[in-house]
Amino acid sequence: MTATEPLKVAAIGAGGIAQRNATETARSGAATIVGVLDVNMKAARDLAGKLKARVFASYDEVLGSPDVEAVLLSTPHDLHCEQTLAAARAGKHVLVEKPLATTLEDAERMIAACRTAGVQLAVNYSFRYLPKIQKAKELVREGALGDITGIQVIAHQFKDLGYWMGARSTSPDDWRSLKARSGGGFLMMNVCHTIDYLYFITGMRGTRVYAEYANLASPGDVEDIISVSCRWGDRAIGSICASSILRGADTAEERIWGTKGTLVINESGLSMYSTRPVDGKRPGRLHAYRTFPDVSWTAAWVRDFVTAVRTGTTPPVGAREAWENLAFLESAYASLTAGPVTIPECPQW
Amino acid sequence: MIQALGAVYKQIPPGIRPYAKNTFVWGTLRSQAVAGRRAIGRGRRVEFLDFEIAHLEPFEFLGPGPRDVQVAAAFSTVSPGTERAVLCGLPGARRPFPYVPGYSVAGTVTKAGRASGFTVGQPVAGRMGHASDGIMTPASLFAVPEGVDLLEASYIEIGIICLQGIRKAGIRPGDRVAVLGQGLIGQMATRLARAVGASPIVALAMSRRRARSAVGAHGADTFVAIAEDPGALTALGADIVIEAVGTSKAIVQAMGAVRPGGTVVLLGSSRDLGRDLDWRDIAQQRRVRLVGAHISIMPAKDASPGSWTYAQEGRLFLELLRTGQLHVADLTTWRASPTACNQVYEVVAQGGADQVGIVFDWHAGPGDAATRREGIGAR
Repeated sequence: MTATEPLKVAAIGAGGIAQRNATETARSGAATIVGVLDVNMKAARDLAGKLKARVFASYDEVLGSPDVEAVLLSTPHDLHCEQTLAAARAGKHVLVEKPLATTLEDAERMIAACRTAGVQLAVNYSFRYLPKIQKAKELVREGALGDITGIQVIAHQFKDLGYWMGARSTSPDDWRSLKARSGGGFLMMNVCHTIDYLYFITGMRGTRVYAEYANLASPGDVEDIISVSCRWGDRAIGSICASSILRGADTAEERIWGTKGTLVINESGLSMYSTRPVDGKRPGRLHAYRTFPDVSWTAAWVRDFVTAVRTGTTPPVGAREAWENLAFLESAYASLTAGPVTIPECPQW
Repeated sequence: MIQALGAVYKQIPPGIRPYAKNTFVWGTLRSQAVAGRRAIGRGRRVEFLDFEIAHLEPFEFLGPGPRDVQVAAAFSTVSPGTERAVLCGLPGARRPFPYVPGYSVAGTVTKAGRASGFTVGQPVAGRMGHASDGIMTPASLFAVPEGVDLLEASYIEIGIICLQGIRKAGIRPGDRVAVLGQGLIGQMATRLARAVGASPIVALAMSRRRARSAVGAHGADTFVAIAEDPGALTALGADIVIEAVGTSKAIVQAMGAVRPGGTVVLLGSSRDLGRDLDWRDIAQQRRVRLVGAHISIMPAKDASPGSWTYAQEGRLFLELLRTGQLHVADLTTWRASPTACNQVYEVVAQGGADQVGIVFDWHAGPGDAATRREGIGAR
């Protein structure tokens, strides 16, 4: 096997996001989709047909196939753990849709299993590969912000009732609305991406958190509105205001500021204000970055994963990043009853 | 007229005000050039764009009038206290941005007004912003004597500020002098006190971060770090204390360091208010004499033995350099390229770290970001 040989991947799940994940994996050039598995055979056949791949009849068949080097899990959150454990036992590398698991306990079992089996594990926090996020990281690295002092996240959108019942899925299921299956609501389902790339951009991790949240207007028992106060590192203060029941004024914006400047990330792109002449820009003005290369962030994530597999290195969005993200989410949820929660540090494996 | 223009300006949408202003300045400059038959000069200068933001900007200026000279700067020295005050918007120093800092420059004449008395190529020093090129007017323009280095001459305004204070202090040979505050003003004052015969001279500062250039053959005899030994102040019993910090706390400290009947010279630009002070104990009972000594109160014309004019002090400063009675080159702790001005003023805004003399070297080309710190590591 050569370092450039495409990784042979089985797509597990053929629903909405699974189709995108599988397609982008194939487009990455670093991997091929050799087969598809889904509880909905028609969905599996349709996706397999598009990707010129076979259809698997069962997960056991996937794991027993010598043609499969890795599994791409785009399945409900509560299935991630057992599917990963089984894949690791079978010697298959694992790419898993975010979040890694519904609990830290499950996440640690998954990480341990993969380490024991000597297989790679990566979680799909591929928004890190968005060009505007990469640019934001670069600007922070160049000192545009100085010492980071504050982070604010606003995530407002409206998720219709059908969303929670799986109406957009090829296999309607209400798992998203049930905490036991999804692990959480809007924070875990969507805002987790934002938290991940804030970790990436700033190089900081959340250290203490307190959240208020509730389910006020959605089916099930997961939150559809949440407000989080957070300490970043040992100094910076942040807040997250997120809701999936806000109508008519969708917003997704992050503000990161420091002693020397501010970054604003939103749907329009990226804006930077710095007191320093960073990136060839005049200081003291708000500079907008509106045009970015049209690249597939998922494909980039897959390429890095394949490189890690072929070279035996740690994938950029691997176990540590997945664990830390989940630690933030779990601590935020626990804080409602426990009071401010110190977010645990990632153990040394 | 200005009010009318201001009213018109406020009618312009904020987004296009900078462009409107630039256009107005551009047109006005050209009108003045045509009307006065003067050329338009171009250069680069340091500008404060907003609080704690400095940047090197291109600019245009009206060529020299009959009595003026146009100067190509060699060096410009940062006056840290004043410039930091404006940069950070401190009390008494709030100015609109963009603001052009700097007022202590040495260079050579590139164009001389017909009645200026100067010739092209002549070395001069005086008031000008931190700029590659600009105009010096007769009120603040000095010929640099032969043998005086332009780097040292660029300290001229700092020298004048300190000389008028030293003069008001009335130092006599053998006076025990303490200088409180060891920034650039404090260290310059120390050297001038040495030049007029004070001995011994004690340098006082909260910490030792600027001790290296404060003590030595040209500077103080001893250095006292107040934070290490708070009791040392009252034990000093100096005849004269020169306060070069500019805070009410420092003034009170200075009064504590002077002997009964001694003199405290207020050289620092005070930027705060002292409250709840027991004047009876700190001043009255000890018969302390307080002397205000700010450059802004120098006489324009009629000099007296205790109060010389700006021009007299400027000429004296250069003469002291020429005769070797004063040395200031080693006060330079950071010789910076103007292109590094953003970094320079970050340090200045944060209190200057261990810097003393920061000098912009205008010899470097526009793309040359070379900068050399004499005393401290990189940011």
